[in-house]
Amino acid sequence: MSPLLAFQLRRIGRNRQFLFFTALLPAGFTVFFTQVFAAAPGGVSQDVAAATMVAMMAYGAIGAALGATIRLSFDRASGWLRQLRVTPVPPGSVVAVDVAVGMLLTLPPLLVVALVGRFVNGVRLEPGAWVALVSVLWLGSAVFVALGLLLGWALEEKAAGGAIGITSVVLAALGGLWVPVEVFPSGLRVVAHALPSYWYAQAGRDAAADGVPAALPLLVLAAFALAFAALAVVVARRRPLAAVAG
Amino acid sequence: MTTPALDVSGLTVRHGDVLAVDGLDLRIGRGETVALLGPNGAGKSSTVSAALGLVRPAAGGVRVLGRAPADAVRAGCVGAMLQHGGLPTEARVGEVLHLVRRSYPDPWPPDDLVATTGIDGLLGRPVEALSGGQRQRVLLALALAGQPPLLLLDEPTSAMDVEGRRAFWVTMRALAARGTTVVFATHHLEEADAVADRVVVLAGGRLVADGSSAAVRSAVSGRSVRLTAERLPDDLPGVTAVTRQGAVATLATADVEATLRALLDHRVPLTDLEVRGASLEDAVLTLTTGAAR
Repeated sequence: MSPLLAFQLRRIGRNRQFLFFTALLPAGFTVFFTQVFAAAPGGVSQDVAAATMVAMMAYGAIGAALGATIRLSFDRASGWLRQLRVTPVPPGSVVAVDVAVGMLLTLPPLLVVALVGRFVNGVRLEPGAWVALVSVLWLGSAVFVALGLLLGWALEEKAAGGAIGITSVVLAALGGLWVPVEVFPSGLRVVAHALPSYWYAQAGRDAAADGVPAALPLLVLAAFALAFAALAVVVARRRPLAAVAG
Repeated sequence: MTTPALDVSGLTVRHGDVLAVDGLDLRIGRGETVALLGPNGAGKSSTVSAALGLVRPAAGGVRVLGRAPADAVRAGCVGAMLQHGGLPTEARVGEVLHLVRRSYPDPWPPDDLVATTGIDGLLGRPVEALSGGQRQRVLLALALAGQPPLLLLDEPTSAMDVEGRRAFWVTMRALAARGTTVVFATHHLEEADAVADRVVVLAGGRLVADGSSAAVRSAVSGRSVRLTAERLPDDLPGVTAVTRQGAVATLATADVEATLRALLDHRVPLTDLEVRGASLEDAVLTLTTGAAR
């Protein structure tokens, strides 16, 4: 493992709140939502339990991906990135490591929520479907890693903290992660279809149901990832990481 | 013939509409200890930033030990303390130091580095728990971590107390004695005087003086004499300039004693008399007007 990757993982591992909000909170929600619906007449079907689990996996992974990558903005504000620029650490590896950290940190929420879904809520899937579900959500989280890097690059430290909170709430609420899109009014359903979070969860639902993800959600996700990455490159050209401000 | 540590030729740096460095030419040989002296906005930081590859020059450029700045940094030839450099959050001092040391091909042995920079006892501490002076010492340790042959320091002592400053310059002198090239920006005339064997004075992005610290000091050794007097005799000895604000006259003089003697001889009452050393701003003014003459 590269020394910089180990260093960055150790830093974020020290942040207990980060791990709580990205992994344990979605896991708690998974149990809570399922138990709330279980109290309703007829109980919870396997489909609803699985859909809740997939939505919370997506919610946790989005929070982790955004939360990990937005730290770029903090490291720029503190002058640490500027300091690193005058050491032999290659500037390109700083960004590469942040991408790797973002991708790695989406794994704990995905795995923790999946385990809670399986063993607490009794979600039953084929072994192949479990693998497909976790894989597709893990690779799909690249969309939110790219979005987080874009926001971290574009925004000042103070704006970045707020922006990340609002962005995750919008992505989760309007993307149908908290309340299924099926119960949205039609106008709001159109909004949901314009958000990457909807397609992300949809890719997960397809994988859980059929053992293979459908093509359309994957194509939409790839398009979002490319768009965010391209924008991040544009912003990065205008504003080098070593710049102090402005 | 060895390549110079720093070879600045025709360097021009712009920040938006502001011309920060204006066609600067400067060669610094290996092993020299050079102060870049100048008031705020003189172009010191921009020159250091260009030498580190942090800003792209509008024209001209810098060669660092015969290489492009970014290549010299990548090769571990340069250590730097930046004005706006910083330390990461959620990390311990020892981890940061370890990371930076490992990035250099020939790092300074850790125990010696820690002792030299006076950060023993800080290695296990979270970065957030450091005082201003401790932080500065950690940043020094990062600059020295690779035993670089060239040190570029941008106002390194600005956040230090008197004690810290003294210790800092003792360390720098020891490094210079080992052959390290030390180039530092400062706006303290005394610092330049005490540490550097060569002083380069910048103003308005241009070089206005370059010489031994003694030569630069003598060029700026003037004093200013202030007193309240409605009228002053003409042709006072030593006086190079007279400015007035109402009844208060300020005389720039190269010879305080002769000037004061002449004032007494002319029976000028020495009301509110004040004699001060020339400030760096005065000195730069003297040097720039001198250069224009």
